[in-house]
Amino acid sequence: MPAPPPTQDELYREAADSYAAALERLARAYEADAEIRRDLLQEIHIALWRSFEGFDGRCSLRTWVYRVAHNTAASHAISQRRKKSQTFIGLEELENVPDHREGEQAADRRHALERLWELVQNLMPLDRQVILSYLEGLDAASISEITGISPGNVATKIHRIKNILARRFQEGGRHDE
Amino acid sequence: MMNESPPNDRLKAVWQNQPLEGIRISVGEIRHRAGKFQNKVYWRNAREYVAGIGVVVLFGIEFWGVPDALTRVACGLIIAGALYVMWRLHQRGASRNVPAEMGLASGLEFHRRELARQRDLLRSVWSWYLAPVIPGLVVLMLARARINPGHLRPIGLSSALIALLFIFVWWLNHQAARRLQSRIDELNALEGQR
Repeated sequence: MPAPPPTQDELYREAADSYAAALERLARAYEADAEIRRDLLQEIHIALWRSFEGFDGRCSLRTWVYRVAHNTAASHAISQRRKKSQTFIGLEELENVPDHREGEQAADRRHALERLWELVQNLMPLDRQVILSYLEGLDAASISEITGISPGNVATKIHRIKNILARRFQEGGRHDE
Repeated sequence: MMNESPPNDRLKAVWQNQPLEGIRISVGEIRHRAGKFQNKVYWRNAREYVAGIGVVVLFGIEFWGVPDALTRVACGLIIAGALYVMWRLHQRGASRNVPAEMGLASGLEFHRRELARQRDLLRSVWSWYLAPVIPGLVVLMLARARINPGHLRPIGLSSALIALLFIFVWWLNHQAARRLQSRIDELNALEGQR
């Protein structure tokens, strides 16, 4: 006799156990203010729990979790942008815009992390999803499944990301080891 | 996993090992907060109806208080217009995204759907937010002109100002909808390369 499908609560527990840290990092990339970030993280967890009512196994749990989390956070970022009159930048643009601190060394982990947050938080939602997934160590096929961008375009975007990161953080590692 | 240059490997490590608060939420707490969240949404939607109810009450009082038939027709039309706007607000609230759709839709689909929803809302502002109250306002101005034939100039001026305001609101929304459409086109192009 086949095992009964997991319940909404069981799916949520499994997701929270496996991805709590990734979700917190994701919230950090979408919201700089600590107080609002806690609210956003809570909103993501609630959206996840509610979403599992309709989880049908069509995609993996990981893809589902990242999609719900990114889509919730992107909606948050878009509404915050309207409030703060903030503009987002695309990877293509970022690749061509010189960084005022280019060449400056990201001397320690903290410094490198702060610069990563700053870089990521100004990106357009879809590009932000790609770079975050890349930093989380996901491969191009998984990123394509989560974002809906073709694998070819994901590869192009990752190439751009590598260029941008290499240019902005090229000297950082030497002082960190 | 892809082969990485040492700086990118280091950056990934920096990212993945960043200090966290370690926030965990129990299922019980999630249920509790989801309920509170639903209440918050309920009251936020309720606030949107308050203005409509205000219009209905105000013109309802006018309807019963004035003897002029044309003014009463105008009040009736404005009340009907306000009720229609509230019904559309209710419909809009009901069609918002549910979390399960977020899991089914990729980032691209979800983003495009959200933009299209906002664009359609802006494009339809004329038909569901402005147009419904226009017949009532026109009849009200005609009634005012009939009752006060000596005040045609100020009545005409206020009618023109209202008309200008409506056109301005329509133009702003039209421009915003165009900007959203160009972003949707960019996303469509991105998907076309699949």
